[in-house]
Amino acid sequence: MSTPEQAALISGRWFDGQSSKARPVMVGLRSTPQGPSLVLHPLSQPGAEPIVFHWKEVGWPEAWNERKPQPRVVVDLQGHGSVEIDAVADWRTALAAAGARPGLAQRMQTRWGVLLAVLLAAAIGLTLFYRHGTPWMATQLTRWVPLDWETAMADQGLRQMDDGLLKPSQLPPERQAQLRARFDALARQIPPALQRYPDYAPQWTLEFRKGMGANAFALPGGQVIMTDGLVQAATRKGLDDDALVGVLAHEIGHVVHRHTTRMLVEQGVLQMGLGLALGDVSGILSTGSALLTGLHYRRGHEREADCFALGLMRHAALPTAPMGTLLLAIAHDEDEEEKGNGKKPGASRPSPKAPDGTAHPIWSLLSSHPDTVERATALRQGQAAHCAAP
Amino acid sequence: MDDYRNGSGAPAQGPSFAPQTIDAHPLAFTGGGGEYFRVWIVNVLLSIVTLGLYTPWARRRTAQYFYGHTQVAGSPLEFTAPQGKMVKGFVLLTMIMLAYNIAANSGQDTAVALFLLAGALLAPYIWASAMRFRLASTRWRGLRLQFAASWREVYTASWPVFALALVWMGVVFGLQALAPEAAAAVQALAGDKPSLSMPRITAPMVGLVLLGLVLSVLCFIRLEYNYKSLLVLRAHLGTEPGRWKPVYTDFVRVWLATVAVFLLCVLGIAVVVAALTGGSAMMLKGIGSRSAQWIFLVVIAGMVVLFFLLFLASTPALAYREARMFQLLWNNIGLGQVARFKCDLGTRSYVGLRIRNLLFTLLTLGLYRPFARVSEYRMKLESVTLHVKGGVDQVTGALARQQEGGLGDALADAAGLDLIG
Repeated sequence: MSTPEQAALISGRWFDGQSSKARPVMVGLRSTPQGPSLVLHPLSQPGAEPIVFHWKEVGWPEAWNERKPQPRVVVDLQGHGSVEIDAVADWRTALAAAGARPGLAQRMQTRWGVLLAVLLAAAIGLTLFYRHGTPWMATQLTRWVPLDWETAMADQGLRQMDDGLLKPSQLPPERQAQLRARFDALARQIPPALQRYPDYAPQWTLEFRKGMGANAFALPGGQVIMTDGLVQAATRKGLDDDALVGVLAHEIGHVVHRHTTRMLVEQGVLQMGLGLALGDVSGILSTGSALLTGLHYRRGHEREADCFALGLMRHAALPTAPMGTLLLAIAHDEDEEEKGNGKKPGASRPSPKAPDGTAHPIWSLLSSHPDTVERATALRQGQAAHCAAP
Repeated sequence: MDDYRNGSGAPAQGPSFAPQTIDAHPLAFTGGGGEYFRVWIVNVLLSIVTLGLYTPWARRRTAQYFYGHTQVAGSPLEFTAPQGKMVKGFVLLTMIMLAYNIAANSGQDTAVALFLLAGALLAPYIWASAMRFRLASTRWRGLRLQFAASWREVYTASWPVFALALVWMGVVFGLQALAPEAAAAVQALAGDKPSLSMPRITAPMVGLVLLGLVLSVLCFIRLEYNYKSLLVLRAHLGTEPGRWKPVYTDFVRVWLATVAVFLLCVLGIAVVVAALTGGSAMMLKGIGSRSAQWIFLVVIAGMVVLFFLLFLASTPALAYREARMFQLLWNNIGLGQVARFKCDLGTRSYVGLRIRNLLFTLLTLGLYRPFARVSEYRMKLESVTLHVKGGVDQVTGALARQQEGGLGDALADAAGLDLIG
């Protein structure tokens, strides 16, 4: 036997997996290119050959604490049982001398510097991923979602809403036909430059319903729902149909960008990812961050739909200012109403809805109200800073 | 089951002639809260960086930390689950969850129903796989634990699940016989359609539902009893099988005591809340009906507080149940003719510890959790003493039937199984 190996011999107890009886052994470590191998010298049979275990054949125990090693360490020899070692500090020294490289987890575990560096990287990486990565991934994944699937989801969602929240429209048929004609004309005019998904051909239909205040929303697959309240609000403010057509352009934007489907994918990634990552810290933290990030995505979708509306209206040579006025007027009415009866109505502004149609009051509270003025101003001016140049 | 002897019964050679001494070995935990905090924070960080994919590695590290610092008669436990299997199971489970989420979110009712049905039918299989995996991954002095129950035994032990289904079918039929319009209302409720007339509730109907509830609870207790006893009786260390003494009524008694503790807590909290709200109602009157929005907010806040209070009331009861169950088990199980366990866990001190830990965890937004976990684990573990007849080195290994590495094992491990029970 060579001298360096002799120096690294550490006494241990070997349990061979056949019985709970300990066998005294000396454990040596031998440096190899892959990592140290373990050499087991049984002391009970003096003439016996030492047994060699390669780096891969040993479950190397992790070092948890560099300053205060645990009192006893067990080395896993897989099919050959295990070795208990009392001289843990000597074992660690010998392991380092034989060229063992600790993994990232162990380095983070035993060195504060490494831990802090990973903490920093995690903070940056997480922000980048949830800010840009997830929306991008959702946009790409949505390419593979078939239109049929969206239509089925939309039909079911609308049926649920018709059961409770919505009633048949009371607008005169000729008025409905009038608006429908404008809608169809608008949908036909979408220029290729504004198509987000080139092969996506939704079935454009406009439906009217009563209920849910002054509202309009898009269902995936091309159905757009407008409430009587919205049409009446426009009439009350003395606005012509261009205001309503603007709102419809915004909703068409949601459909063209497939926001509902993208939101579904994004929510899935968020809930899974953040739940797994932060679930062990606290449920409040993981749900809270998933909720806030979801809101951020939602605001992004609204902005995208606004930009689409601006682009489409410009293409159709229609003004967007009436739409901005309508938006402001509705937000104003809503505030009045809130002060009046203290009850929070559903979100009353063109917004994408979950297929079940429940607009969560907290969401609209957090997401829409603060920037309604900003949105309306941009629409009145006919351009917005955040939109890509046409 | 007292004379559950295997083959020769006595240890193989020699020691049966010598007068056998009984040695007491208190179990010990050599880890610490601060140290485990670092294990935990590393796991959390790496999980965040890898978007949760690190989870199976994190689980293995956690198990190895706790096992490696658990000294049983001077020898630490070993957690030897193959990492590859844990990763495979985790990936599989994540995909199933994702598919289920998508199906549920997009309203595909048939798929959701199929998922739930398959889950219910497979639950005993998954439970048994989990136990097999967990025991086979536990090694002490070179010997692996084994869980040797056959699938037949597992499904036979699961009979309370099926009894539960029968009980509720019986309740529904009984209701139909007692009051057809009530059953129709129940059906309308299930179908999400508003029922027009509220059916008259009669005493027999209430009695029937109550009977159903009591039977359900009894079924749950029976299921817990069946699974725990099967786990211990079919567990082996080497050739030594597990020993099991508790009977069903022991379990029922623990449950009854738990319900009593829960009711006491609810009562106590109700008294405190009543005293407090007496004051705040006056305050509300002072504000008057100036703003209706305020009332709305107060109602919402009240609901949140109510949930929080229920949560608070259930914590002592759950801790109480855990402590009593722990004492019941660890005072009444053993290993062949070789080992017995004794447990002197203080119920009151354990409940106190759990409440303290809950408060600290809430106050620190979860950062106290690793300290809480270590202190609870330590208190439970160190309350147990192992009594060994004839020395710890007499157990011989049995030739383990090598598990074929079924998917169930890997899946079970990922299925949120709490390794550090």
